[in-house]
Amino acid sequence: MTAPPPHGERNASEEAAPLILDVKGNSLDDGPGIRSVVFFKGCPLTCVWCHNPESKKAAAELAYDAGACTGCETCLTACEKGALDRNLPGYVDRQACDRCFACAAVCPSGALERVGLERSVDEITASILKDKPFFDTSGGGVTFSGGEPTLFPSFLGRLAESIKRAGVHTLLETCGFFDGERFAALVLPHLDTIYFDLKLFDRAAHRRFCGLPNDVLIDNFLTLADLAHRGAIELLPRIPLVPEITATEANIAAWAEFLARHHWGEVKLLAYNPLWPEKVAKIGEDNSLAGQDGMQTWMPAEEVARLEDVFHRAGIATL
Amino acid sequence: MVFFQTTPAGEASSDRAHGKSAIQWVVKLLLRLMAASFNYRPTLRKNLKSDQGWINFTVGICTRSRSVEAAIQFKQGRLSVLHTIPTDAEIVLVFKSDAAVRKFLTATPTEQVHMILQNDFYTVGNASYLNLFVYCLSLLLNKKQIRMMQKERRQDRKKLARAAPEAKPHLSEELQARRETRLTGARVDPGVLFLEDPYLSAYGLENFPRVAAFLDAHFETRAEVCPELPKLVTDWHKIHGYETDAEGRPWHPVLRKAHCYKHTMENRHPIIHANDLIAGTTTTKDIGVVVYPEGHGTMIWGELLTVPHRSLNPYDVAAETRQLLHHEVFPYWANRNFKEWVRRKYDNPLGQQIDERWAVYFNWKSVTISHTIPDFPKILRLGAKGIIAEIEAELTADVDDPDKTATRRAMILCLEGLMAYAANLARQAAAEALETEDPVRREELEHLARVCEQVVARPARTLDEAVNAVWITWVGLHMESTNAGLSLGRLDQWLQPYFEADMACLDGLEDREAYVKHAIELIGCFMMRCTDHLPLTPDFANYYFGGSSSDQAITLGGVTPEGEDAVNDMTYIFLKVTEMLSIRDPNVNARCHLGKNSDTYLKRLCEVNLTTAATPSMHNDETIWASLAEFDYATEDLRNWSATGCVEPTLSGKHMGHTNFQMISLVAALEMALNDGRHPLMDWKIGPDTGRVEDSTFQTFDQFFDAFEKQMGFLIKQSIAYNEMLARAHQEIRPTPMLSTLIDDCIRDGQDVTRGGARYNSSGAACIGLADVTDSLLVVKKLVFEEGKVSFADLKQAIDTNFENDPALHAMITRKIPFFGSGRTEAVAMANRVTRFVHDSYGRHPHYRGGRYTAGFWSMSNHVAYGTLSGALPSGRLKGKPFTPGLTPQPAASNNLLDNLRDVAALDPGNMNNNIAFNVKVVPGAGEPRDKTVNTMFSYVKTYFQLGGMQMQMNVVTSAMLRDAMAHPENYRNLLVRISGYNAYFVTLNRDMQLELIERAEYGL
Repeated sequence: MTAPPPHGERNASEEAAPLILDVKGNSLDDGPGIRSVVFFKGCPLTCVWCHNPESKKAAAELAYDAGACTGCETCLTACEKGALDRNLPGYVDRQACDRCFACAAVCPSGALERVGLERSVDEITASILKDKPFFDTSGGGVTFSGGEPTLFPSFLGRLAESIKRAGVHTLLETCGFFDGERFAALVLPHLDTIYFDLKLFDRAAHRRFCGLPNDVLIDNFLTLADLAHRGAIELLPRIPLVPEITATEANIAAWAEFLARHHWGEVKLLAYNPLWPEKVAKIGEDNSLAGQDGMQTWMPAEEVARLEDVFHRAGIATL
Repeated sequence: MVFFQTTPAGEASSDRAHGKSAIQWVVKLLLRLMAASFNYRPTLRKNLKSDQGWINFTVGICTRSRSVEAAIQFKQGRLSVLHTIPTDAEIVLVFKSDAAVRKFLTATPTEQVHMILQNDFYTVGNASYLNLFVYCLSLLLNKKQIRMMQKERRQDRKKLARAAPEAKPHLSEELQARRETRLTGARVDPGVLFLEDPYLSAYGLENFPRVAAFLDAHFETRAEVCPELPKLVTDWHKIHGYETDAEGRPWHPVLRKAHCYKHTMENRHPIIHANDLIAGTTTTKDIGVVVYPEGHGTMIWGELLTVPHRSLNPYDVAAETRQLLHHEVFPYWANRNFKEWVRRKYDNPLGQQIDERWAVYFNWKSVTISHTIPDFPKILRLGAKGIIAEIEAELTADVDDPDKTATRRAMILCLEGLMAYAANLARQAAAEALETEDPVRREELEHLARVCEQVVARPARTLDEAVNAVWITWVGLHMESTNAGLSLGRLDQWLQPYFEADMACLDGLEDREAYVKHAIELIGCFMMRCTDHLPLTPDFANYYFGGSSSDQAITLGGVTPEGEDAVNDMTYIFLKVTEMLSIRDPNVNARCHLGKNSDTYLKRLCEVNLTTAATPSMHNDETIWASLAEFDYATEDLRNWSATGCVEPTLSGKHMGHTNFQMISLVAALEMALNDGRHPLMDWKIGPDTGRVEDSTFQTFDQFFDAFEKQMGFLIKQSIAYNEMLARAHQEIRPTPMLSTLIDDCIRDGQDVTRGGARYNSSGAACIGLADVTDSLLVVKKLVFEEGKVSFADLKQAIDTNFENDPALHAMITRKIPFFGSGRTEAVAMANRVTRFVHDSYGRHPHYRGGRYTAGFWSMSNHVAYGTLSGALPSGRLKGKPFTPGLTPQPAASNNLLDNLRDVAALDPGNMNNNIAFNVKVVPGAGEPRDKTVNTMFSYVKTYFQLGGMQMQMNVVTSAMLRDAMAHPENYRNLLVRISGYNAYFVTLNRDMQLELIERAEYGL
């Protein structure tokens, strides 16, 4: 594999403990069967449409949910920085806030919340294994998602190992931006399946919308595809359909040509959903795309079918 | 009778004590107007006379403070207004305050129903006369009442139409579309001998036009009150006497009942419903409402003129039927029914007074016992003649005991009556055959005539005979006692031998396929036939138990008495019919034994659940057995259990388990513990002194739990005392010798089931609000006693003010407390602590027929009714909101369904020996393939069972769909929903129940 990505330049001993956003049980959309999904916080990419905007930064953040707030103002007494202000549209002055989370600790309703918690491998494993009987009956398991779990290859590897040792199926959802060698050494042996997200084929467009060019992830994809061809891993490329960004005729056709050229027979298209702009507001991210009209509606099934057809014509099945 | 024994001193409202208020004069004026109308208008006056003479009674009206007091006396056809209420007044309406009297005078009939539930007034005395008084008022006012009801309905429709003007056909069509895709199943179950595709995916309702027409009629036909049974029963008693026979000798109750029963069966109309494959009907109407005058029949007296016009569950009442019931039937039974027998004999006992305030418990023996499973295999195997031979043998062997002899004679009379009815049906079928032009129908009728000549007198030989024998027996049992909860049992097991015998006679594949189709049609006809009767429900019951039918449970699957896999061809045939019909009743329950039953079977249950949106209810055999392990039930009998009414286990054919003897609110006890024994809505200090929260009585959580236990123990004791009194009433008024012939060991012991003749005896309670109580106790324990975040007095203050001044406390409770269903062990431990206490409290009380009292945690629809009658709770549930259905965790507990499933599965079955109802609302993802949806449902159920879960039932609907159905009911006539244990059509429910279903947590599939 090629050069390590700039954000991942750490060795195992230096790797910081990741923050976990959430461990979501009973997920039916992140792989086969009934699954638990571990959401890591932090991602090397900065995709403008990111559906989990709270997962972009690796550091803990303060979220404010205006709908849950009862206006009791207990938080005002807890904040030493004067960073909370009713007159601000998002309540939190993000410049003044030093993320001590004292306000979240006293908030009775959970309207103010710390996003991202340090959790140990053992603790996560134990909480997940409560649902093992459901994984077993349904053919489900555990999915690592984020954020980008491979930002923390050592932790991810230990977690995946601990879960797999308990006889549970493991699946990674990745943007593909990782140090291939460390990934191969630390993580890959403990995975059953990888869902690999492909976004923009055009290198410049990828840099513009996702913050980095796509060379690393294309290299990583081809390496994994090679392993998959030899039966060493199960791999599924997925393409998130974002109106006028990834869901263009040209981009889809380019990926179809690419996959066909590398003898890859199936792909999954993820229809756009408009649930993320609300999350952007909660963490106070500045994102002009979130407010645009085109981002507020579900993608019609006909549009998805039209794009799937592009793959079908290239001899590639869509799942 | 003392009217004011229940009004504690010092608790009277602010009305001037003993001074009369202005409203007093209004009341008297209105009563005088009423008296004048009846006294001077002969057309009205004639209503005061029954066929036995003038109806004499007195009705008192007063407030608790006596600021209002008046009475109206009906005597020898004259009405007069009295200034004081005579002590022997039949019925007194006691109003909370002057304001309540004022409100009552201008209220619509529906508002008056709510007033009685809300305890704005209560009654003391004979309820029949209250209903007669209401009828007399309605004779004066019915035109106005009907206009008010119509206006109310119009306004309601307008409001809904404003809220959702456009129907959403894509939602209603989605339900229909579920019928289009059908999975196929492999033949893996050893008991499936003939079905190549046990899922019978080739068949849909479109293949059975006869059944489809019945289904259509079921939705389009308006029910009508049937006069046949009350007339036959009343006429017989007028000739042959009730307390004493025609010669003046005291009747032996069981013989009186049997003679009357035989007369009824011989003389009722033998009706073959048009185009049906099943002979006989329960009533003379297409859909008949059965009136049992010795039960709760007189409850409908007050509504005889208005019942066709009410919003919920309207019935027609023909003018002749009304005249018959008012002049000939109800006056005869005004005192001769269960409730009034108890009231007179025990002088209006406290247990009865509490029951009649509605907010705490409801004892079903005021209506019926029913709730059991008759031994159908016996009558199929022996025929009525064979059973008579068995009884005669016992009669000759045991001649010394007059009670036993009378009981056995009574049983024979009943079976003779049943045979006479079947013989009449045979004659009727033959006569109709002669008159029929259509040769196909002629042949069917001739066949039916032959079937009815054979059964029920002689053993059944074919599936047609067996199904007809079950139905004729079923009709017979319903002519004996009220149609509420009597259940059909393991029909797949009991009919399979006849199906097999019929199939064995056929060689060709084509013939066999045709016969399978016939079997589906026959069972389709049978299940539709079961819908030909409805229970009699006064309007108040539409708010108390909305949408319920008779709850005739059928049980499928599980294991045989020998412990082997019991799933067979008939199991899948019943499932096919269940899927095609999607009807609320019969209530289909499916047993599952994980070690014995196949995944193919369990997946099929889930597929049927998906298609029908609500049925079957699924049970885990091994956990049910564990729940009954404390009893000395024989293993083969345990293995032969069936669900009764809603979900409750009964050992088929051997067990009188009156499994719904009461509905009781656990929350009422909690509210009483918070208020030193005073129930807030009733404004009545009935419970023991356990201390005031405000006085810092409770230093530890255990002290408070102890207070809860004392209040609950008090309520259980009172309700059981009332139950035992009602049980005596049943023994005197309505023994059930016909049922006794089909329950072991009544024949052998010469003892009626009402007196303990069954081999196994028990009575089961439905305890309501477990999740609400558990969560409330957790909040008190954690926030008050462990974390000290709020003082108990402040929490109490917040509850008393419905959290209106404490939004932050309310938010903290709902967001931060690990409720039951959140996956936290301490919540499960708390729920187990509550169930253990409740189970032990019931189990401790001696039971009048031998056996024990059992405790279940399901709620029919009373989690809604009791919710509207309860204040805010420490759990954060607000005043008047429904409790959760059955023992289902509240939506705030977790957004992960698996947390709910694990917590419910972790409950100790040993404390839940009358079963549970765990409702889960799941929603199939748009465009998901059917097999994926079914597999997910299957994974939930199977894993829940593996973890020890006892029962679960899924509603596969979205809240959006339910909202659309609420506003546009015309698109959803068959939208089936599980309330708690039973099914109902969503569009027939009252608004509170509809909203409760909408607000349930919803999980994607």
